[in-house]
Amino acid sequence: MIEARGLTKVFRRADKPPGLAASVRHLVRPRYAEHTAVAGIDLSIGAGEAVAYVGPNGAGKSTTVKMLTGIVHPTAGEIRVCGLDPHRNRHANARNIGVLFGQRTQLWWDLPVRDSLALLRDIYRIPERRYRARLDELEPVLGLAGLLPVLARKLSLGQRMRADLAAALLHDPRVVYLDEPTIGLDVTARDAMRGFLRDLRRTGTTLMITTHDLGDIEEVCDRIVILDAGRIIYDGPVTAIKDRLARDRAVHFTLADACPGVDLSTDLPGSRTVAGEDERRVSVVFDRFVHGAGDVLAAMARHARVVDLSIDEPSIDDVVRRVYAGAIGDALPDRVR
Amino acid sequence: MREAAALARIYLRMLLGYVRAVLEYRTDALILVLASVLTQLAGIVFLTTVFAQVPALGDWQRWEVIWIFAMVVLAEGIGSLCFEGTWHLALYINLGGLDYLMVRPYPVALQVMGSTLGPNGFSNAVLGLALLGVAATRVDVDWGPVTVGWAVLLMLSGVLVKLAISLASNTTAFWLRSPSSSPAGTVHTLGDLARYPITVYSTGVRAVLVVIPLAFVGYFPAASLFGKGTAGTIGAFTPLVAAACIAGAWAYFRAGMRRYDSVGN
Ligand SMILES: Nc1ncnc2c1ncn2[C@@H]1O[C@H](COP(=O)(O)OP(=O)(O)OP(=O)(O)O)[C@@H](O)[C@H]1O
Ligand SMILES: [Mg+2]
Repeated sequence: MIEARGLTKVFRRADKPPGLAASVRHLVRPRYAEHTAVAGIDLSIGAGEAVAYVGPNGAGKSTTVKMLTGIVHPTAGEIRVCGLDPHRNRHANARNIGVLFGQRTQLWWDLPVRDSLALLRDIYRIPERRYRARLDELEPVLGLAGLLPVLARKLSLGQRMRADLAAALLHDPRVVYLDEPTIGLDVTARDAMRGFLRDLRRTGTTLMITTHDLGDIEEVCDRIVILDAGRIIYDGPVTAIKDRLARDRAVHFTLADACPGVDLSTDLPGSRTVAGEDERRVSVVFDRFVHGAGDVLAAMARHARVVDLSIDEPSIDDVVRRVYAGAIGDALPDRVR
Repeated sequence: MREAAALARIYLRMLLGYVRAVLEYRTDALILVLASVLTQLAGIVFLTTVFAQVPALGDWQRWEVIWIFAMVVLAEGIGSLCFEGTWHLALYINLGGLDYLMVRPYPVALQVMGSTLGPNGFSNAVLGLALLGVAATRVDVDWGPVTVGWAVLLMLSGVLVKLAISLASNTTAFWLRSPSSSPAGTVHTLGDLARYPITVYSTGVRAVLVVIPLAFVGYFPAASLFGKGTAGTIGAFTPLVAAACIAGAWAYFRAGMRRYDSVGN
């Protein structure tokens, strides 16, 4: 479905020092700073796959998506999406793909959602009957009815994301790219979005999702590709990552009274208790497949009075660090590049 | 041809979307628009008295000069009424606004051009048409079906030339990558020179107006209509020049899109 070979993007930024003399010099002989955002990646995604595309900030995820969708022309490399070169066959490609950039909307700012969708219907030349049927399909999962009469600029972030998703899926694309579809959403909205993405997968749509949220990956995707500094450092099943690298969860407690020496390792075998910044703060790191956060709280309550707590989920950055540390290297040597 | 009609229909819907947004949801903007149209229309009254003073220039009669002026004003009016978005291209490029437009099955250039509407265009278009209407009765042309058809074709060609020049000069933003200093504005200002017969200018200025082909918006087509010697012969090619300009601007824009890098966050 998606085939990329040697995909590379080098951004050229004008290296223009301040000052008039320097500006003039720049005109005569422009100097550029080159920055390789994507450094020769190979990627092959089959029909119906749901791939999580992850990596730290600036790894080159969005840049890859922009090349795969035909927005940005690659500096080098070959792309085929449904057999088409997305940059050259822009219009044919556009009918096959749906795109959502969580950071920005494609809705017409000053128009009600309904009008934006109608404009997209015209642009994609979707027959009126199909259009209505499609809206009916999307209605129960995205809860569109309430959004249709609202101006795009008056939508909340969660509502906007749903409306944008409807816009991206209106023409029933075979391949869908989602760049941070859950960014900024609250817990409820995020769960709803994940539920919807799971349903979308079930219809056989090929998904490529960029995210910083491990929850999105575990709940929606079966394959994960990890990118760092423009290179793929891991490509394999999500379960391997989930079971090996993303087990640790931490609960940070603030206690009512100083409680030096508190240790939950007997209550919760395998957990580590770490002293915090001061004597009233303490953190417990535990394996989330062995203990629940509730167990940890209950255990702590037996030792001290808890005033406040926060939970740290394992993050992509941890996973990337551990891939580098070789945590998965021995287990799946052929998968790691 | 059917394809062109479909593109045009979608284009119109996009423009109407903008009109709806302004009319129904942006009453603040609407008041500004109405105010500007009123001031412009008031200007027309003033202009008619000015035009009574327009002299003959060389072998161009007064109403022939006005004809050129009117064609250029009409082209500018239609340009800003229907294709105002062209002037926002640099903004789109520098803010990464083309991303979503690039993944839709509709020409990116037309999506940008039809993204907004210049209210001043309305008064300019009206002024241009009114002047053409009056001038038509004063110039020395035998109006029949053929001459009327030819005049209309010349006018449309002039509009297309102007449009192609706007598109091409704004397209340079793909290379310059700075939202402020654009050669498009300079070219547009030069367009004011094209409101008069280019024979009044020095050779240098004339050459510029022919090369940028601003002279094909009003001067040459008018010369063809009024049968002005060599200029008239050149003017007969205005429709071809227009087609070439549009094709060139379109290709230039496509080349620009290859350089589009979007923006990082
Ligand atoms: N249009 C651009 N022009 C210049 N540099 C860019 C551009 N877009 C991205 N970059 C740079 O390329 C690198 C990769 O950016 P990209 O947006 O692909 O990262 P990302 O993996 O999506 O990061 P994030 O998680 O923050 O979204 C960054 O260093 C960024 O600054
Ligand atoms: Mg990104």
